[in-house]
Amino acid sequence: MPEPAIVAEELTYRYGDLLAVDHISFTVERGEILGFLGPNGAGKSTTVKMLTGQLRPASGRALLLGIDVARYPKRVQARIGVCFEQPNLYEELSGVDNLRLFANLFNARDVDINALLRRVGLDGRGGDLVGRYSKGMKQRLMIARALVNRPDILFLDEPTEGLDPTSAEAIRRVILEEQQRGATIFLTTHDMYEADRLCNRVAFINSGKIVALDTPHNLKQQYGKRMVRAEVVGPDGALLTREIVLDRPETPAEIADLLAHQQVVTLHSEEATLEDIFIRLTGRGLA
Amino acid sequence: MNAAAMWALIQKDARLYFANRLFALVTVLGLVAYATIYFLLPATVDETLKVGIAIPELPPALAAALEDDAMLVKQFASAADLRAAVAAGEVSVGFAFPPDLFDQIRQGARPTVELLLAPEVTPDFASVYEAAARELSFNLVGQELPVTISEVILGPDMAGAQIAPRQRMLPLFAVLVLMVECLGLASLIAAEVEQGTIRALLVTPLTMRGLFVAKSLFGSLFAFAQAVILLAVTGGLAQAALLNLTALLIGSVLMTGVAFLIAALGRDLMSVMGWGMLALLIMALPTFTVLIPGLAADWVYLIPTHYLVDTIYRSLNFGAGWAEVGGNLLPLAASALLLLALGMAILQRRFA
Repeated sequence: MPEPAIVAEELTYRYGDLLAVDHISFTVERGEILGFLGPNGAGKSTTVKMLTGQLRPASGRALLLGIDVARYPKRVQARIGVCFEQPNLYEELSGVDNLRLFANLFNARDVDINALLRRVGLDGRGGDLVGRYSKGMKQRLMIARALVNRPDILFLDEPTEGLDPTSAEAIRRVILEEQQRGATIFLTTHDMYEADRLCNRVAFINSGKIVALDTPHNLKQQYGKRMVRAEVVGPDGALLTREIVLDRPETPAEIADLLAHQQVVTLHSEEATLEDIFIRLTGRGLA
Repeated sequence: MNAAAMWALIQKDARLYFANRLFALVTVLGLVAYATIYFLLPATVDETLKVGIAIPELPPALAAALEDDAMLVKQFASAADLRAAVAAGEVSVGFAFPPDLFDQIRQGARPTVELLLAPEVTPDFASVYEAAARELSFNLVGQELPVTISEVILGPDMAGAQIAPRQRMLPLFAVLVLMVECLGLASLIAAEVEQGTIRALLVTPLTMRGLFVAKSLFGSLFAFAQAVILLAVTGGLAQAALLNLTALLIGSVLMTGVAFLIAALGRDLMSVMGWGMLALLIMALPTFTVLIPGLAADWVYLIPTHYLVDTIYRSLNFGAGWAEVGGNLLPLAASALLLLALGMAILQRRFA
């Protein structure tokens, strides 16, 4: 069995007196998409910087593909792709020139730049200066740049933040394609819907600590509350809301009573969102 | 880092440099302007001293004695005419003797000789002309000064071969060319930091050292190429070519080090420009001591560009070779390597 793609062991980092990442440990298996969720300042970016060799941990260690990142950062960086949250492209160069530069840095001269551009929906625009691209196009080019070396692990930091639905969907499609190719994806996001939809597992990080790490389904099972929400007509004709919690012995009787004795206008089943669970675990929201 | 990656980085920097319209324009126009100014400046120095004399009668023997290669004596009919000529700049200095000069001398009187000077003549030169007027008067009355003058020239005798203004300016142009490129490189590095592209570069197999080597190569070779073009166009490579090329190459490395320091100090393009202008002023100071030799003082030896300017200036204008100015290359190279290492270290700390 191959070793995990990512192993974090007691990773710790301080900015002066501030403990940004507090002895976190986790593993990510090969081919897995891990969602890394947390509010601003929770320690997400610092963790990613340590995993990608941009920061050296104060203590603990990170192994990527079995290689110690702090000791051999360049060996690791040759096999990963990083897509930053803020666009950091050469705006005075064309999209093709941006990709060609990075292909040369990775010594990946056989990469098909045009095929990459097609994958992210930028075919026909590769010759344009990046400064003329929209935000969504820049983000898609950043994804393409992260793929020039066919990385074994892909780090994506808020890849769809603030994008139009078309660009966001294009990026989600590429993420799933990369997973099918066998790449491991470490996805940092605020977007619970995206995490729920794409990730095999999600980790909640708060104040530098991982407070939960499991599949979205298990987290909902463990921490969420499934219910039925109904709108019924009240005695004075006004609409009233009734909630019936599921998975209890008395649930069937309550639902039967509702349907028999109330004039039901709408009836929906609801389950807790990841955000609800995060709030329940940390007492704060993700924003 | 492989050669293809290095070349890709150099190409990228060259494209970004010329994508910046300001630097592209300044680079091209600068080269054209420096060469044009060079050729517009006088190629020779007029060493002739034009002297005017208003005198009733100039004895032929005296007139012959005054006429030599370095002095042109023009006689005026009256003191008024001479005044007008001095005021118009026709002659540099005028000696107006009274119309009854010889009568006064015969009668044992003490005639007054009017010394006419242009307003820009300094007090030192005024006293020189006053002494000349006294000697002229001695000659007119048939007496010679009871002294023997011995002329000793210290250093190369530049009589008849004064350094033309364009030749004095050439080291300044060379330093300016290097400095403009230095500003360009510093702003490129600042832009990499400001736009975050340096983070993207450094999560690839590219090392920080590799990145700086690529930037040093681009900066040094680009600056060197411009300086070589300038010297080639102005004929500056006609003599001591290897010496001057070596000095310029080391000077280019020096300016790359300065660019790294400027980039490390500057937080954005504007602050890079601010620090850059300060650096340009300091680095250009040694060239002013060539233009105005009286400015030269011991402090100039602390500015590394002095050794570059001195090498180019003396090799081009005094025929100095390796034996005379080769020693300049050592402090120049040492300061270039020191600034480069210092700039890289500070930048590395900033990016780490």
